[in-house]
Amino acid sequence: MREQIAFFVSIFPALWEGLIVSLKLSAGALILGFTIGLPMALARTYGKGIVKKIAIAYIETIRGTPMVVQLFIIYFGLPDLGILIDRIPAAIIALGINSSAYQAEYFRGAIQSIDSGQMMAAEALGMTKKQAVRHIILPQALRIVLPPWSNEVIYMVKYTSVAFLIAVPELMARGKMIISWTFKPLEVLFWVGVIYVIVLSIIAKIVDLVELKISIPGFQMSREDHY
Amino acid sequence: MVEPILRIENLYKNFGDVEVLKGVSLTVEEGEVVVIIGPSGTGKSTLLRCINYLTVPDSGDIYFEGRKIEYKQDNLSIVRQKIGMVFQEFNLFNHLTALQNVAIGPSKVKKINKTKALELAEKELLRVGLQDKADHYPAELSGGQKQRVAIARALAMDPKILLFDEPTSALDPELTGEVLMVMKDLALDGMTMMVVSHEMGFAREVSDKIIFLEGGVVSEMGSPEKIFNNPDKERTLEFVSKITRLGPIDSSRGGSDI
Ligand SMILES: Nc1ncnc2c1ncn2[C@@H]1O[C@H](COP(=O)(O)OP(=O)(O)OP(=O)(O)O)[C@@H](O)[C@H]1O
Ligand SMILES: [Mg+2]
Repeated sequence: MREQIAFFVSIFPALWEGLIVSLKLSAGALILGFTIGLPMALARTYGKGIVKKIAIAYIETIRGTPMVVQLFIIYFGLPDLGILIDRIPAAIIALGINSSAYQAEYFRGAIQSIDSGQMMAAEALGMTKKQAVRHIILPQALRIVLPPWSNEVIYMVKYTSVAFLIAVPELMARGKMIISWTFKPLEVLFWVGVIYVIVLSIIAKIVDLVELKISIPGFQMSREDHY
Repeated sequence: MVEPILRIENLYKNFGDVEVLKGVSLTVEEGEVVVIIGPSGTGKSTLLRCINYLTVPDSGDIYFEGRKIEYKQDNLSIVRQKIGMVFQEFNLFNHLTALQNVAIGPSKVKKINKTKALELAEKELLRVGLQDKADHYPAELSGGQKQRVAIARALAMDPKILLFDEPTSALDPELTGEVLMVMKDLALDGMTMMVVSHEMGFAREVSDKIIFLEGGVVSEMGSPEKIFNNPDKERTLEFVSKITRLGPIDSSRGGSDI
């Protein structure tokens, strides 16, 4: 056991650097995914004609192809078109685009779960559709979406490990590197796993706190037990 | 003659194959309380929603304050600001407190300054007797309180006419009285109101005119005395006595409570 701990201490600095890269990738991808995903959800829900069609095509194409393919297209494919992107931005873009399609569907689900009377009442007051979406629908939808959205955060932290395929030095890639100089795959992977578990439970806790903070009496089903 | 505040001419509305409104015409004078009755599915809600174009009619004209509403050209937001609406299911904004529910219209639609909007909202809550519930969320209010907040929300826009779509039919019987009381006060204050309701006590006591809507048209229209006592059509009498019989609690309580 002592040895194990000593071993962990010796590899920790390298793993820590990897973890930081993983978290940066996750944060970047989640933000990008949100920035693209929310408009896509709105376009798919409220858009008409071509706008709606584009949103559906985008979402379904992204969801219908493996993430690795998307990553390789961006990192290995785009240079053929003269677009060169560094490893880390390439990984963030690929993960972010992938996430945007899933986030869009979470948002859309949340928007559709809101009673149609809310929009009607907002329009009856004289709000335009845009105002109603902004002031009435989204504040509710974003609260409803938080529990499924937090799953996306968890998935994302795990999915960043695919970035090691394009040699981004994230947690998994660091682990693989360490294995190659220590020849201790089992131990290294064990500690990589431990780090993932700890980080993910910290994130889950933070999400819980945020959820509690923005919750409204009787509004969020998931939080009803607090009242 | 003064121009009626609302004039509906020959309104038609289909949903697919279902013809709902088949040429509805009616007028509402300023200060008048008009109660609309009629069987379920006959288009009462559709009629109300056509007035502020939440549902777009297929044909027919609506004149509001003497001006024809032009769906294509008019800024519907401005028309809707002057036409308040109260729904059967309240439709309070779930993420806002009672006070915020009332303030949001003035603040976001009329763009009046937030402090002023909140002050105004307080005044409107006072008017419906709910100043002490200002900080409660909809889920923390009873049905009757929710509906009174919804009325305050509509009032905060300073509407010229209020449309009520069965405002008490989602309420437990013991809660309808408080809502009807608020509505009666509004009527006494001179508010123009168009009320879809089968609260016969309210209709008898407060309304100036009762409209019997059936089969997509105004089947009969007249003063409460006439509609209750000697309507032109036998069918009207039959319907009125049916709903009065079906809602004995409503009609007796509606009459004595308010
Ligand atoms: N958006 C819609 N799409 C399709 N059909 C509709 C729509 N709204 C109403 N209808 C239909 O139009 C008819 C009239 O509905 P409406 O709600 O106006 O009746 P109502 O008189 O208010 O009935 P109730 O007393 O049950 O409230 C019904 O047959 C209803 O199913
Ligand atoms: Mg109805």
